[in-house]
Amino acid sequence: MSTISTALRNFKEPTKEQLTQIFFSLPSVGSLDGTEKTPAQEVEKMDINAVLSLGVQGEEDAYAGKLYIMSPYLAFASLDRKSVRFTIPLSTIRRVERLNARAGIYALSLSTWHGAKIIVQLTSLRPTADLFCSLLRDALKIELQRGQMRAVKGFVKTCYSEALVSTTSHVADNEREDGSLISEEKDDPVPRESTYHGGLGLKYKFPGDPKKLREASKIKLWTQYLRAHGRNLTLLRYPQCTRLVQVGLPNRLRGEMWETLSGSVYLRFSNPGYYEELLEKNTGRTTTSTEDIEKDLHRSLPEYAGYQSEEGISALRRVLQAYSFKNPELGYCQAMNILAAAILIYMSEEQAFWLLEVLCDRLLPGYYAPSMHGTLLDQRVFEALVQRCLPIIHDHFQDVDVQLSVASLPWFLSLYINSMPMIFAFRIVDCFFCMGPKVLFQVGLAILKINGEKLLQIQDDGGFLNLMRDYFASLGDSAHPNSPDPRARAITRFQELLLVSFREFSVITDEMILSERRRFRSEIIHSIESFSKRSAIRNLKSLGRFSKEQAGLVYDALYKAMCIVPPPPDAPPAPTLVSPGDVGTEEKPETRIELKTFQFFLSEIATWARDERIVSNGFQRRIDREIAEHEFIDRLFFFWDTSCRGALSFQDLIMGLDGVMFNDLMENIEWFFNLHDKNKDGFLTKDEVLTLSETFLFIFRYEVGDAYLGAVSRFMTNAFEYGDALLPPPEDEQPAQLNEQGGETPPAVPTNQPYLNLATFRMVVLADEVLESFFETDLSASFRLEPLPEMELPVSSSGLLDNIWSTIATDTNKKMFNMFTDEIGKTIGKHQVVHRPSIGRYTKLEEPKARESLLTPSMRHSASKSSLSAESVKTVATSTSSTLSVDVSVAGPGKGPLPSSGSGFSPLPMLHAANIALMERTPFAIDDAKDDEDESDEDLEGGDNDDQVMDEVDAFLEAHDSGLTEADKEVAKDLLTAEPVK
Amino acid sequence: MADQAASGSVDKSVQVKLVLLGEAAVGKSSVVLRFVSNEFQANKEPTIGAAFLTQKCRLEDRVLRYEIWDTAGQERFHSLAPMYYRNAQAAVVVYDVTKATSLEKAKSWVKELQRQANPNIVIALAGNKVDLVQASASSPGAPSSSESEDEADDATATPGETPGASEPESLRQVPREEAQAYATEAGLLFFETSAKTGEGIVDIFTEIAKKIPIEHILAATRGAAGRPGAAGGRAGAQQEGAVNLDSTTKPKDACNC
Repeated sequence: MSTISTALRNFKEPTKEQLTQIFFSLPSVGSLDGTEKTPAQEVEKMDINAVLSLGVQGEEDAYAGKLYIMSPYLAFASLDRKSVRFTIPLSTIRRVERLNARAGIYALSLSTWHGAKIIVQLTSLRPTADLFCSLLRDALKIELQRGQMRAVKGFVKTCYSEALVSTTSHVADNEREDGSLISEEKDDPVPRESTYHGGLGLKYKFPGDPKKLREASKIKLWTQYLRAHGRNLTLLRYPQCTRLVQVGLPNRLRGEMWETLSGSVYLRFSNPGYYEELLEKNTGRTTTSTEDIEKDLHRSLPEYAGYQSEEGISALRRVLQAYSFKNPELGYCQAMNILAAAILIYMSEEQAFWLLEVLCDRLLPGYYAPSMHGTLLDQRVFEALVQRCLPIIHDHFQDVDVQLSVASLPWFLSLYINSMPMIFAFRIVDCFFCMGPKVLFQVGLAILKINGEKLLQIQDDGGFLNLMRDYFASLGDSAHPNSPDPRARAITRFQELLLVSFREFSVITDEMILSERRRFRSEIIHSIESFSKRSAIRNLKSLGRFSKEQAGLVYDALYKAMCIVPPPPDAPPAPTLVSPGDVGTEEKPETRIELKTFQFFLSEIATWARDERIVSNGFQRRIDREIAEHEFIDRLFFFWDTSCRGALSFQDLIMGLDGVMFNDLMENIEWFFNLHDKNKDGFLTKDEVLTLSETFLFIFRYEVGDAYLGAVSRFMTNAFEYGDALLPPPEDEQPAQLNEQGGETPPAVPTNQPYLNLATFRMVVLADEVLESFFETDLSASFRLEPLPEMELPVSSSGLLDNIWSTIATDTNKKMFNMFTDEIGKTIGKHQVVHRPSIGRYTKLEEPKARESLLTPSMRHSASKSSLSAESVKTVATSTSSTLSVDVSVAGPGKGPLPSSGSGFSPLPMLHAANIALMERTPFAIDDAKDDEDESDEDLEGGDNDDQVMDEVDAFLEAHDSGLTEADKEVAKDLLTAEPVK
Repeated sequence: MADQAASGSVDKSVQVKLVLLGEAAVGKSSVVLRFVSNEFQANKEPTIGAAFLTQKCRLEDRVLRYEIWDTAGQERFHSLAPMYYRNAQAAVVVYDVTKATSLEKAKSWVKELQRQANPNIVIALAGNKVDLVQASASSPGAPSSSESEDEADDATATPGETPGASEPESLRQVPREEAQAYATEAGLLFFETSAKTGEGIVDIFTEIAKKIPIEHILAATRGAAGRPGAAGGRAGAQQEGAVNLDSTTKPKDACNC
């Protein structure tokens, strides 16, 4: 009753390019499903050293930095990556001029649509600068063709900043005259009616007292800033901008600035109408997420007037629902309602939707995912930072066993909105959007630091929480109430908090957080995975006869299968589950796997469900494992699918395995019989007998020698003999009676249909000692639960070569390498392939003399030797291939001679031969490791000695190999077409 | 339980950490709120991670200080739960009598607690929202429209279902006997409650208080000073009358939150 997700494994560290995109808040390419994706959008990228200055006299200094073109955006960051930066959609650029300047200076003047001039001096070499310019020109052309330029004007009308700026001047409109490098439309044909977007605050008031917040003067400062430095799409962020943000954004501008600073404005700009369409497309749709959302609508900032009205509630509903439709995998997580409610006070639904997208996707990655891995990870990171920056507090917490995250988790999850009074929380949010996720950590650390002394007094979680609650409630108080200096008295605790955050914890950078996340990621993933493993096992309705550990191994195999053959994504875990009618048996979504995944799963567990080839080519030995496909496996899949869903759950797998792994002889025979009895009438038809025989042949396909083949052929002979014999006359015997009589007199029901009943089958099987032992032990034993190696990076401990190896050994590289060495191996005659038998108990009863003679006496091994070589196979193989769990000794149990079978069994010759080869080869691996320069020489030299032997073995193998399969086929064919013997 | 044995030692309150678990929207927060402040608060903020409340109670001559961790019910918060139930001495696992799946979830919580939590943990199973399935007499009017929209959970979890006078029992999906049988088998305290009417709420905490091995806690918290074993006689006599806890109407001691 649980879902299993392998999503965490798919995490990839962002590439450098992506990091740059993240830094500039660019929408990730292709983040939206197909909307707005022009084919011409082969994103051109280039960066160049540049010096930025504004075209206005006496404005700020010039800043050296880097200019990036990442079509359709132009971005700049000063060298320190924080003083000055901008991200501008190319479509807002109206004119680009090469400036006539002193010789040797290459400068461009960019005019944006609202008339600001940005001067960039390209300080790279001339050809580089030329290249950059031509890229820029091309990119601009594309934007023009896409008609994006046209969209700008309409779009900016939705921005409050325009209204703000234009009340006193009309830069925007005078601006048109200068034409531009690329001619563009003069005016919007249909001037949009809609004015700027705004939030609920416009109607229901913004929290806080405007006077106290000094709204008026903030607005004035911002108006000046925006006029000089651009706004919304074209905002240039100078140090002044950050300072203004830190004193708190004015309420009316807040929504837009959040949108601009976080970069969600670019999403809204490039996806006009998306939000409405999304809602429209999904009208009336209900999902688990929408149900969860309903529950929380009235509990989101309920004290705010806007959310005591239907208007506010339905806006909140729409935004949350829209997001859950957009990202069904994430859906809805509690705390998102608080964020959404908060931002809706300041911005329109559409703005909020995109901001939510940026929050969940980029700023708080994984925070709200079903596993909440991002939250857990950042809590871990925060703890590490506390340990580093505030070791005394950290130690005290350890001593009294207080968990930091009981308090800090909601801080991060709801951006402090849930923890402190709103007006303060919003100012933290201001900084968060402006300065990035590090702000959450800085503020968190500052809170602890400021309360350090009291924190050292607390004794338990409860005390910690109470202390925090009291502190947050007092944020508006003076930080220094007893100071004689009135100015010091005027400083509130909140101001103190921000001061400490940004002064004392300025060492915390986004890079640091990224690297800390890297440090703890696998730890967190591991703990989430083991948690879900534990709960998956705990939630099993029945463990069958498995111990919890064994169930764990089954889970591991399932998990691995899901990682490698993920269930189709478009079929969500529970497609055809709950029919609302059957109350009571209603089920939670449950992970189920389909046939493909099942095949992989089974190949991990059942020896015959995989094709294993031991390949040795003179350079390396490895075991290639492939998933076997056979009708039998499909049959098993449907046999275990007791609820007929076309997919198996963990529980199904447990019960299925339980049905075969613990059986004794008789049970196994019955199990096998039932598996092939399609209509479950207690009889096999003739066809089914044939199918059953094919299954035998499939399972025994890699067994060495003729024993199994013989057994199967005897089986068929006997089965048909008995079947036919019992077919004709007496039609009226009672089945029950028959069963009691142990198959002496099976029924003769109409021809063709029922043919062989269980009792007969049993008798036929028991007549053959090979089959008997197969059902007695081997069948059950062919299902093996073995600990899988950790699926994280392959850890190989043996020296330099391995290290190099593991760094270059991506899967594809490995395959190519394998093929390459195989080829070489073939040319130098050292390539050999051995199939590993699935059962491996019987070798041939009588070994052909000719083949036998190929084995030189030295190749005969004592048991200990061969097991030793098995070990070596194991080590070698694990070091060369990460995905294989290799254990040659699985063939072990089969090696012991079976007393009942009479004649002595020689160890499997093929394995044997392989082992010899492996034994001979092992030293080279060590040589290689020591001295990889001489690799080839060593190899050749060493190889010489055994060349002859190897050749012999080679010849032997090939002859034998093909001979066997030929025979296999022939026999099978013969059998299939064989007339029943009378 | 232990009565006179404790009398000498306790004038100081005993801290009991209690955690509430259960599927989303079964009314965990409402149960706590009823217990802590004997009221409903319209549209309480949702529980992010966990809410923390405290309530002092007098049981016979002993004062218990419940530290209540009210956890978030949404499934994805599940992995955080161990953080809250670690070291808990008591747990209330809540399900909704009108929702069969919620009992399943409750069972899985119980399983988890029994395996992962403090081995001596006292677990109570509470089937909430019985007001929805009681005869019309005890649930007057249509609750979802009444001014006590308090249990927002109620209203949304069973939308449009106003337990009219007609046949309220039909809403019930978990028969009392079934839950009771399960509770007995799993060794849990069992109650059917209504946070809305207050029915059964205080009883949960009273019974837990009686069952908690207070001596253990005292011994543990006092360290060396504590008396070693809980030698106090388990006098079976449960003098309900003397217990502050059992009177539902009585306002509780000052709630510390």
